[in-house]
Amino acid sequence: MSKLSFRARALDASKPLPVFRCEDLPDLNEYASINRAVPQMPTGMEKEEESEHHLQRAISAQQVYGEKRDNMVIPVPEAESNISYYDSLYPGEFRMPKQLIHIQPFSLDTEQPDYDLDSDDEAFVNKLRKKMEITPLQFEEMIDRLEKGSGQQLVTLQEAKLLLKEDDDLIREVFDYWTRKRKACKSASLIPVVKQEKRDGSSTNDPYVAFRRRTEKMQTRKNRKNDEASYEKMLKLRRDLSRAVTILEMIKRREKSKRELLHLTLEIVEKRYSMADFGGEVMAEVLAQRALIKPTYTMPLIPLSSNQFRHQDHLELKDFKPKPEKTEVVRTKRKYEKKPKVLQPSSSVSQQSGHSSLPAFNAKDLNQYDFPSSDEEPFSQMLSGSSEAEEDSDPDGPFAFRRKAGCQYYAPGQGSNWPWCDPGDPRYRYSLTTLTVPHRCVGLARRRVGRGGRFLLDRAHSDLDNVFYGLDPEMHSLPAQSPNGKLASTSESNTSDRPAPPDLGHILLNIKSCRWRHFRPRTLPRDSDSSGLYRGLTRVSMANPRTQTGGSTSQSRTGPGPAPAAALTAEQYQQHQEQLALMQKQQLEQIQQQQAGNAPGLVSKTLDSASAQFAASALVTTEELLAIKAKEEIVLGIGVNGVLPGSGVYKGLHLASAAPAALVNTSPPAAVAATTTANTAAPAFHQPSAANSSGMTAQTPSGHGAAAQVLMGNSVRLGMSSAGGTVNSITTLNARHIPRTLTAVPPSALKLAAAATANCQVPKVTAASSLDMVVR
Amino acid sequence: PVTHNAPLPPCKRRGPGRVRSVGDGRLEVIEGCRLPVLRKNQENEDEWPLAEILSVKEVASRKLYYVHYIDFNKRLDEWVTPDRLDLKKLQLPKKEAKTPTKNGLPGSRPSSPERDVVRAGREGESQMSNGTSRRLIPSQPGRKRKANCVGTDEDSQDSSDGIPSAPRMTGSLVSDRSHDDIITRMKNIDCIELGRHRLKPWYFSPYPQELTALPILYLCEFCLKYLKSLKCLQRHLTKCNLRHPPGNEIYRKGTISFFEIDGRKNKTYSQNLCLLAKCFLDHKTLYYDTDPFLFYVMTEYDSKGFHIVGYFSKEKESTEDYNVACILTLPPYQRRGYGKLLIEFSYELSKVEGKTGTPEKPLSDLGLLSYRSYWSQTILEILMDLKSDNGERPQITINEISEITSVKKEDVISTLQYLNLINYYKGQYILTLSEDIVEGHERAMHKRHLRIDPKCLHFTPKDWSKRGKW
Repeated sequence: MSKLSFRARALDASKPLPVFRCEDLPDLNEYASINRAVPQMPTGMEKEEESEHHLQRAISAQQVYGEKRDNMVIPVPEAESNISYYDSLYPGEFRMPKQLIHIQPFSLDTEQPDYDLDSDDEAFVNKLRKKMEITPLQFEEMIDRLEKGSGQQLVTLQEAKLLLKEDDDLIREVFDYWTRKRKACKSASLIPVVKQEKRDGSSTNDPYVAFRRRTEKMQTRKNRKNDEASYEKMLKLRRDLSRAVTILEMIKRREKSKRELLHLTLEIVEKRYSMADFGGEVMAEVLAQRALIKPTYTMPLIPLSSNQFRHQDHLELKDFKPKPEKTEVVRTKRKYEKKPKVLQPSSSVSQQSGHSSLPAFNAKDLNQYDFPSSDEEPFSQMLSGSSEAEEDSDPDGPFAFRRKAGCQYYAPGQGSNWPWCDPGDPRYRYSLTTLTVPHRCVGLARRRVGRGGRFLLDRAHSDLDNVFYGLDPEMHSLPAQSPNGKLASTSESNTSDRPAPPDLGHILLNIKSCRWRHFRPRTLPRDSDSSGLYRGLTRVSMANPRTQTGGSTSQSRTGPGPAPAAALTAEQYQQHQEQLALMQKQQLEQIQQQQAGNAPGLVSKTLDSASAQFAASALVTTEELLAIKAKEEIVLGIGVNGVLPGSGVYKGLHLASAAPAALVNTSPPAAVAATTTANTAAPAFHQPSAANSSGMTAQTPSGHGAAAQVLMGNSVRLGMSSAGGTVNSITTLNARHIPRTLTAVPPSALKLAAAATANCQVPKVTAASSLDMVVR
Repeated sequence: PVTHNAPLPPCKRRGPGRVRSVGDGRLEVIEGCRLPVLRKNQENEDEWPLAEILSVKEVASRKLYYVHYIDFNKRLDEWVTPDRLDLKKLQLPKKEAKTPTKNGLPGSRPSSPERDVVRAGREGESQMSNGTSRRLIPSQPGRKRKANCVGTDEDSQDSSDGIPSAPRMTGSLVSDRSHDDIITRMKNIDCIELGRHRLKPWYFSPYPQELTALPILYLCEFCLKYLKSLKCLQRHLTKCNLRHPPGNEIYRKGTISFFEIDGRKNKTYSQNLCLLAKCFLDHKTLYYDTDPFLFYVMTEYDSKGFHIVGYFSKEKESTEDYNVACILTLPPYQRRGYGKLLIEFSYELSKVEGKTGTPEKPLSDLGLLSYRSYWSQTILEILMDLKSDNGERPQITINEISEITSVKKEDVISTLQYLNLINYYKGQYILTLSEDIVEGHERAMHKRHLRIDPKCLHFTPKDWSKRGKW
């Protein structure tokens, strides 16, 4: 064991080491050789420095003497500690606090200037003091501001004046002094600061640059491609996240409606209980009734109360809607199902009071969703033909399109070529209409040809209906105003380029004096014959010569430039007719949108537009009309802002949702004709408005750009301005409309709806005034 | 066991150079020359140690030479007048002299393959003249990699280059001298006035360059702000109302206090402290900001306030068990036990944290001596106090020592080795205490009156990992 050349075991840190005094182990030296086996630990010093003379000397001295000797220590440069002026430099005493010192956060941030006055400054300040008031601190503050206000470029005197609070004389003096000093100074600042790292990374090795930010250098600068890719990724991520948010919102809505359903069911049960309908007879009766009313649709098992609303709705649809449109109902329904979401409370209230027999219910709530809930699997599945239906909590509800076995379905638009199915057709636009018999205004309506050449009058509900109904057809427009044309508030007269009407009072007056426009073509060259023709046309529908005159006056004023007067030719006549057709088409679109926008409580009615008498006798009985009127008079009671011209509303509605359609509206007949033909077969709801508009604009001959522009501006204005009412159908409608066009992108719809509702805050501007604003 | 006379690094072994004479027969002394230079040693005797000329400047038509004494620490480097040079023994610089030059540093890392190629070309030339092929090697794989990574993600170009342009982000010291150039090798501040003291800096410190030309740089004693003149300092003192370091006092016993300063929350003070400390710490880097560090400033109180004596910095989160990053006793306070007090305090903090710790490497010569001394005394204290229970030999494991002292195991072992306490005896390791050791220790402990009193420490460690980023 004594002659050892083998390695000793490794030192085990967890093994107890007995501690001996050397004197207790006389034979220790015999084992000393093994000690070398214990691996040497590094000193932790730099190799080169480890060998330095003074260190080695100190180490050996320590080993020899067991302690440091004064002359063996490592020499260092000297330091003195005898600054004589120390006491004056740091005057006063600082008493040690009893408690440990605790610094309050931000207490260190004193507002003292970083700049410190030097002897030169002191001389300057002393000199300046003879002239004006300045303290060293003030001077320091000024210099501090100037220094910190300067980047690469020095602050100019003008900037300095903004930067400094002192009076101009002082600023100029100090500024001049500072500029001189700054120019003489080689460094970047009069306040010495540690060099900062440069953004371009060129300062990596500058030894004077210190305290660099620890953030990793952006690698993107290296490669633009990389930059782009990551940017796109970020965009995508953002998109995905916002989509997720949307989905969550939708879920929230769905769950809300589920809860609503539950409440409604509860209510039914309570009602039935109070009616003592224990046997379910009343329920069955109502269900049967409903089945009668709407045999076409499978009705979900929904609460009775909401059924009643539907009942009304469908009854009207059934009664007044012409057959060809019925197929479209399914689709248009969707739009207006969404309305209550964005509808302003007042509007829903008005609807409710008009149609709801159960005021305890919010009509909005009732109609908002059709309660597709997970409990109703089969039903909701049927409805969720598209992702949109699902997301929207099935807005179509019972009207959702369902395939029937054995039936062949064609894409919408292909099968029906009814001109009013085309949203772009201006002929089928809704406008303010007055009947001769009964002699009253029926609000918004449009005219179209029905079966057997009958003229049908489609009526549309608007939130301003009660205003319209209140309009007195007997009140004539003032002849003096008529040529002046303060009206221009109708969709027909939207090309008017009169100066802006003076104020709201005028507008109100216009409305009061029946200056609301009627269904009437416009944008014609000034042409007495044509207007005569139209007068003939309109006379039938309006049964109000005054109004009609107003219309023709507005016509005569149409056209942004001087309209060429020309004799009526057969061609012109044809053009006129086509324009009329176009108008009607637009109106159709409007009604569709209107339907879409309206809650089920709203009524869409059909009236003869060619002749009130004809319509009354042929399609709509007087009783029915009266009934409608009676019903609508309920709405009348509700305070709706009557200031807005109805047609303005409509125009806004129409144009805002499909502006180019309106544009086409005013275009010369040829263009109109083209548009019409192009669009006849396409129902509004099948064409995203964007596509729609682009197509139409393309068709507008550039030669008529002026008129078109006016119109377009007009429409835009109107879209905004008509938002003034307490009830803003336009915005809501718009909101409703857009989601469709952006199929399955409800978030944007929501946002747009929100934006639209925000629009409501826009101060009231009448259509007339807005019209004038856009005239160029 | 400690190597006393390590061989000189090869680069420093030079044969006598040829003596070149200038026109008038006098010798031209240029950068890189080596020659004996007169200096006084601690006994105030004349010495002629070999020195290298690092820089030459002319002040008032008189040449001054910045000399580094070979095998002396850089802190003794100085400007000398020509009369102190022994020109007879002048050695001219060799071509391959490893003297740091201004272009000795690699520039910023190539940022794109294209530039990489350009660099390689340029680099190649300079390497020829420079004599080092260091840069040439990485540039070739760089080119190859470029060919490989066409169309691949650019991110992969990172790392693996082997030539980081920036020092690592953790820690506060640099060990590789790749960033050492002629500027940082030379002291740039002549004198610093701090409170009562005038300090002669030992090393380069990146104070604003315009201040380096000043004969004296004035520092506010309490906030450590640097000022160009006494007038400015006076003005500053009218605005600065600090009378202690701007942090929380976490220890006070007698006149000794410790203040804790967060490098993120109090950047200005932390940076000022670092700039000052850099004057006395060769390996300290100020490359990055002070955010991840805490600064423990030791002060001594008198009626004027709490005067800074020394400090140590500490990473808020250390991945390598460092409980000290930089540690410094200001020169006026050196050799009076304050260094050991700082070290003791750092281990007290570690004890509170329940961790063992070790100072960040590399240690300086003074650091090594101080730490060794502290470790020795701490360990010997334990070993001497060991009582044998039932008459048997007292025994202890290295781990136990480490746990008691918070000194990292490796440091315990190295100290035991340094003190020559570990012996292999009869098949096992034992610790032996010689009479010399015991006596030396007792004498040292007798002189060591400055101690940290753990009861006076009011310190709650924070879990920085849970506080976001520092």
